[in-house]
Amino acid sequence: MGNRNVLWMKWKSYIGITAIVIAMTIVLHPLEAAFDMVNIALVFLLPVLLSASLWGFRPALYAAVLSVLAFDFFFIPPRLSFTVADLRYLISFAVYLSVAALTASLSSRLKHQLLLSKQREAHTAVLYELSRELGAVTDLQSLIDSVSLQVSKTIGSEIAVFLPDEQNRLKLYLPSNAASNWGQREEGQAIARLVLNHNEAAGFGTETLRDDPGQYAPLRADNRIYGVLAVNLGGRTAEFGPEQQRLLEALTDLTASAIARMKLMEEARIAHLTAESERLRTAILDSVSHELRTPLAAIIGSATSLIEGDRLFSGEDRMELLQTIREGALRMNRLVQNLLGMVQLESGMLKLKRNWCDVEDLIGVALAQVKEFQQHRQIRVKLPDEVPLLVGDEVLLEQMLVNVVSNAIKYSSDSSVIDIVVRTSGDRLILTVTDRGVGLEEKEYDRIFDKFYRAKSSKNVTGTGLGLAICRGIAELHGGSISASPNEPQGTVITIALPLPTREDSNPDIIES
Amino acid sequence: MSDHGARILVIDDEPQIRKLLKVTLQAHKYSIYEASTGEEGVLQASLQMPDLIVLDLGLPDLSGMEVLSRIREWSHVPILVLTAKDREEDKIAALDGGADDYVTKPFGMGELVARIRVALRHAAKSANEPQLQFGELTIDLAQRIVELRGERVKLTPTEYDLLRILASNAGKVVTQRQLLQQVWGSQHTESDSHYLRVYIGHLRKKLEEDSTQPKFIVTEPGIGYRFLSRD
Repeated sequence: MGNRNVLWMKWKSYIGITAIVIAMTIVLHPLEAAFDMVNIALVFLLPVLLSASLWGFRPALYAAVLSVLAFDFFFIPPRLSFTVADLRYLISFAVYLSVAALTASLSSRLKHQLLLSKQREAHTAVLYELSRELGAVTDLQSLIDSVSLQVSKTIGSEIAVFLPDEQNRLKLYLPSNAASNWGQREEGQAIARLVLNHNEAAGFGTETLRDDPGQYAPLRADNRIYGVLAVNLGGRTAEFGPEQQRLLEALTDLTASAIARMKLMEEARIAHLTAESERLRTAILDSVSHELRTPLAAIIGSATSLIEGDRLFSGEDRMELLQTIREGALRMNRLVQNLLGMVQLESGMLKLKRNWCDVEDLIGVALAQVKEFQQHRQIRVKLPDEVPLLVGDEVLLEQMLVNVVSNAIKYSSDSSVIDIVVRTSGDRLILTVTDRGVGLEEKEYDRIFDKFYRAKSSKNVTGTGLGLAICRGIAELHGGSISASPNEPQGTVITIALPLPTREDSNPDIIES
Repeated sequence: MSDHGARILVIDDEPQIRKLLKVTLQAHKYSIYEASTGEEGVLQASLQMPDLIVLDLGLPDLSGMEVLSRIREWSHVPILVLTAKDREEDKIAALDGGADDYVTKPFGMGELVARIRVALRHAAKSANEPQLQFGELTIDLAQRIVELRGERVKLTPTEYDLLRILASNAGKVVTQRQLLQQVWGSQHTESDSHYLRVYIGHLRKKLEEDSTQPKFIVTEPGIGYRFLSRD
């Protein structure tokens, strides 16, 4: 279809020229007496100029020859014959032809240059657009999709990208809207492997395997090859010129540097992750081994003393040793519970129940749990007149509250005041727990919710650094958040924000009063 | 107390736990029978006819639930289940499946003994006491009158029903489903659990001095409510 169209365009110019020359001859013929021969000759330059500017060099040359022939045949004596009586006319013809040729070549070159500069402008725009797009993408698939879009817009071809994986096996990536399965053919893998190994383009338009319809170029950036870009040029051999080749190379370079950037980002991320998991592992080992061994030592020590030295101890001593055993065991129990909680939260094993929860009730349960070690600290609770119900997992929410309140107790002095305040703000329920304890360093307010992070000021207080991490997990599971901020003049405020039920959840006010 | 000398069957596969229960409960003057598997437990229950059964839900052969339902087929003996902390579903299933109460592992012996006493007392109690007395709170079941410190407390019919069910099971946990079923009937819906929260809230406001530190109706998170009875 395309080829026939081009052919028709070509022939159209020649037919047009022939028609113009015939028309001019018919018009000029009767005027021959009125005009001088030179004038007519000059008029015959017109079709040459016209076709040079419209159709290019060859049609212009054809116009010149045709015009000379028509001029000779119809106007130069003897008429209606190609014979030339006056030989001087031959010189005129030669001059005419050279003028025509020169004009034609100048004009067509101008036209060509215009075309080229238009094309360059288009190519620059394409490259600019692509580089802007590639700057924004962060995943491989959208990168390949962007490149594919631009290549199909400018060159009209489909692409495939080959990237080596960790084992240096080539993996094929296709644009998500790949129209054909061209990228999947077997030769592709082999040629891409060749390109990768020799660091040279292969396939159509190159020195190697030029019969292949695809062009395979290495994706090279900073002296490193990241993969191979394959472009299907099958059936476009005619239109694919040096200008397209240059554009393709520029597109390849852009793709290469985008992939390089992505690879570097990925590598940095992995390095960071490795360092982070290394830090976590150490922290877990330190924390768990310390937190397990200390109470174990106390339990084993006390129990052994009681068994071995039964008669040495007074009743009071014995009670003290027994209490040590109990405390140690309770501490281990808390640790196991926290570890299990963390594992459940992280593994996604936890199925969140969505029950109606009364915040007042949750606070009550939490306060009952901390009662034993609250000692003389005063815990004040301030609730709004109407405490809204929440939808959530009451056991988890209670655990979160217990953890937060326990922390407030742990890090504040005996007989200080702890405030629990509940209020609503828009579609959230805000619960704050304020202590007047040791507080935190400025940069620690975010970090205390990290797993196994322990605040500097808490080194001499036992703990695993899991409690608040679990709280954050629970809050986020409920679509809420938890944060810490300093309290004036001293201490810490923990703020928990939980979403209030939406209108569909609740069906209020059908309560008898 | 009349429960002294009661016979208790312990069904648990962990020898350490059985030993602990045996030593402690014998010290409290109970006679103890042991079973280490579910099958043996069901058999012992029928042979010994114990006054109470302590059943661990995590057994190796039969599931604790299976043991529970097999015993419930023919016996109303009070059954206390032992469960791990984070198994709310198991607790609810056991309670709705006929268990009388639960104790979470690890437990203090004081707590276990208190639960055993409550369960034994409920089993021994004659059904119709016209009046319930809890410290300053009096509930007249015949006349549907509630008095706190001698003053009449005005309750709506639903609030009264809730209080009556909780108080007549004093010391025992009552699951949300049991409450919903007994107050709202078997056609209760999901949204009724919303009202349950609200009514319990109202009830506490009327009965408790500080509803964040309730003295009568305490919440068992994820399970239900327990009316505290002080001996």
